[in-house]
Amino acid sequence: METRPTPGPASPGPESTGSESTGSATPVSASPARHQVPATSGQLNWLRKQAHDWVAEGLVQPDQAASILGRYQASRRFSLGRLLLGVGATFTGVGLIWLVAANLDEFSPLTRFAVVLVLWLAALVGAETLAARGGSPLVTEAVRLLAALGLGAVIFQAAQSLQVPAYEPKLVGLWGAGALVHAYVLRAYSPLLVGIAAVTTFSVWQGLHWPDPTFTRAVLVLTLSAVVAVAVAALHDGRPHDAVAQARWRHAFAGPWRHVGAGLVLVGLFVAGFPVDEGWEITWTWWVVALAVLGALAAAAALAVARDLSRYEVLGSVAVLAIGLVLAAWSAGGDANDVEVQDWAHAILGVVTYVVVAVGIAAIGTLRDSWLLTAMATAGLVVFTTFQSFAVFAPIIQGAWLFVVLGLIFLATGIGFDRGRRRLAAALDDEAPPDAAGPQQQTEGTQS
Amino acid sequence: MNRTVLNGYVPNRYVLVAGVAAAQLALTATAVAPQLSARVTGESYLVRVELYDPIDPFRGAYVALAYPDLPATRDAEQTPELPDLEGPEGRVFVSLTERDGVYVATDWSRERPEEGVFLSCSDGSWSLRCGIESWFVPQDEAAELERELMDSGGIAELRIDSRGNAAIVDLKARG
Repeated sequence: METRPTPGPASPGPESTGSESTGSATPVSASPARHQVPATSGQLNWLRKQAHDWVAEGLVQPDQAASILGRYQASRRFSLGRLLLGVGATFTGVGLIWLVAANLDEFSPLTRFAVVLVLWLAALVGAETLAARGGSPLVTEAVRLLAALGLGAVIFQAAQSLQVPAYEPKLVGLWGAGALVHAYVLRAYSPLLVGIAAVTTFSVWQGLHWPDPTFTRAVLVLTLSAVVAVAVAALHDGRPHDAVAQARWRHAFAGPWRHVGAGLVLVGLFVAGFPVDEGWEITWTWWVVALAVLGALAAAAALAVARDLSRYEVLGSVAVLAIGLVLAAWSAGGDANDVEVQDWAHAILGVVTYVVVAVGIAAIGTLRDSWLLTAMATAGLVVFTTFQSFAVFAPIIQGAWLFVVLGLIFLATGIGFDRGRRRLAAALDDEAPPDAAGPQQQTEGTQS
Repeated sequence: MNRTVLNGYVPNRYVLVAGVAAAQLALTATAVAPQLSARVTGESYLVRVELYDPIDPFRGAYVALAYPDLPATRDAEQTPELPDLEGPEGRVFVSLTERDGVYVATDWSRERPEEGVFLSCSDGSWSLRCGIESWFVPQDEAAELERELMDSGGIAELRIDSRGNAAIVDLKARG
C-alpha cells in the first residue's frame, strides 16, 4: 500500500506516489507554510544533515535553517491510525458481505436487503458529510471504503434475495462499475481501489468465461486489460501544467491504474511464455471485442494526451500485447521430451521479452519512486525465470547440474536486470524535460 | 476535498452523492433486472425439478438445480425430443407446453416466439442457462430440502414474463 498522493499546487513530477507526492505537494520555494509538511524520518534526517552543512558553509543563517526545518514534521508513511482505519474499514466491509453470504437466517430476504441498503447509504452519505465538515481525510477515506464495499453487499444481497445465479462475473463487474462511479464523481480514492480490483477481476473472469476459453484468448484478455489500465493511468497523468489541470485530470488516480496495468503486463507475458502447442485459436466473445475496442480507444487517447514516460508506458503495453499474441499463436513446446529448434526459439523470445519488460517496469518504478513496481518486476522475473528454466532445461539436464545451471542463469539474469534497470532509468531520466523532473529527480538510476 | 470547478460553478456535494447513489442503485437493478421483471410482471408456471448438486461455499446453501423436462445443454444427443438448434451460441428461446399439470419443453429456436409460454436462455456456456439454475435456502432448511428432493424430486414455481425472463419463487418436494 502506498500513501494517497495529494495533487499539489505545483506538482511537476510525472508521477505522484509514495514519498514523491510529499515532495511535490508543497514547493519549497513558496512563501512561509501555513501548516507543516509531513516527511518521513529518513527524509528529515537527510534534511537536518544538509541544513547543518549549509550553516557550516555559510550558505544560510542558523535561524533560516531552523525555519526551513520547522516547515516539516515527522510522520510515518503508514501511521498506526491509517493502518487501523484501513484495516477496520476493510474488515467491516468484508464482514458485511460475509454476513450476506452467510445469510442472516432470522431475517426475510427483503429485510436483509433493507439492512444492507441502509448501511451502504449511511456510509456513502456519512463520508461526504465528514468531508464537507472538514473531517479527517483518513477517516473520510475509511468510511468511503466502507461505502464501496457496502455496494458489493447491496448487489449480492439483491441477487440473493431474487435468486439470481451468483456464480457469474456480471455481479462483480457491476460492483466495480458502481465503485468507479463513486470514485470519479466524488474524487474518492479508496473506492477507486475497490473499483479497479473488481473491474479487473470481471475483465479476466468474463474474458476467460465460456464459450470455448482458449490459450490465445487468455493471453489476449490479460494483455488487453493491461493496455487499458496503463492507458487510463497515462490519461490521468495528462498534461500536468498546474494544480487545476492536475485536479481536472485526476492526477492522483494514475498510480493504482499503473500498478494494476504493470501487474497484468507481467502476468500476461508470463502466461504467453507457456510452451502451449495450441496455435492461434480464439472465439470472439462480446467482452473480448469490447475490450479490444476499449483498449484501442484508450491507447489512442493516451498517446494523444500523454507525454514522456507515460507515453512510453502505453507504447510498451501495446508492444507486450503484440509479442504476447505472437508467442501464443506460435505452436511450440508441446512435447517436453522432444525439444526442437523452434521450441528453443520460442523460449528465448519469451525470456528475452520478459527480461526486457521486467527491466522496463523496474526502471519505471525507480523513476516514479514506486518500490512496489520494482518489487513486482523483480518477483515476476524470478518466477518467470524459474518456470522457464525448468520447462526448457529440466528435460535435458538432470540432477545437481540442473541446480548449478539454474543458479548461473539466476546470477546472470540478476546482474543483467540490475544493470539494465539503472541504465534505462538514467537514459529515460536524461530524456525527460526539465518541467517533468520532480524534486526527487535524484534517483538511484541517475546516481549509478 | 477538491471538487471540480466548471466555469465557476461548484456542484453541490450532496447532489453528487445523490447522483452516485442513484447510479449505483441503477447498476444493482441491472444485476437483477430479468428476475425482477419476471417476479413483478410474470405469471406462475410449475415445472419438475431435481437436485443437481448442493453447493455450499459459505454458510447457507445455494442449491444447484436441474430440470428433467427442460433441455440442459444444446447437445442434440441429450435432447432427442427437440429439433436441432442451428446458429452460433447465443440466445435460445425454449417453448413450454403444459402436460399433466407441469410445463415441459416442446420446442426451441433462436427467434423469439410470437406467442405461447417460453423461457429466454443462453447457451454461451457449458450448459443452457435460463436464470433459474440455483436456489438459495437457509442453512437449517437446506439439509431437509435436499433429502426430500433426492427421494421424490420437486416442483418449482417459476414466474415467467412476456419476454421469457424467469425467476424461481418457490420450491417444494413432490408428493
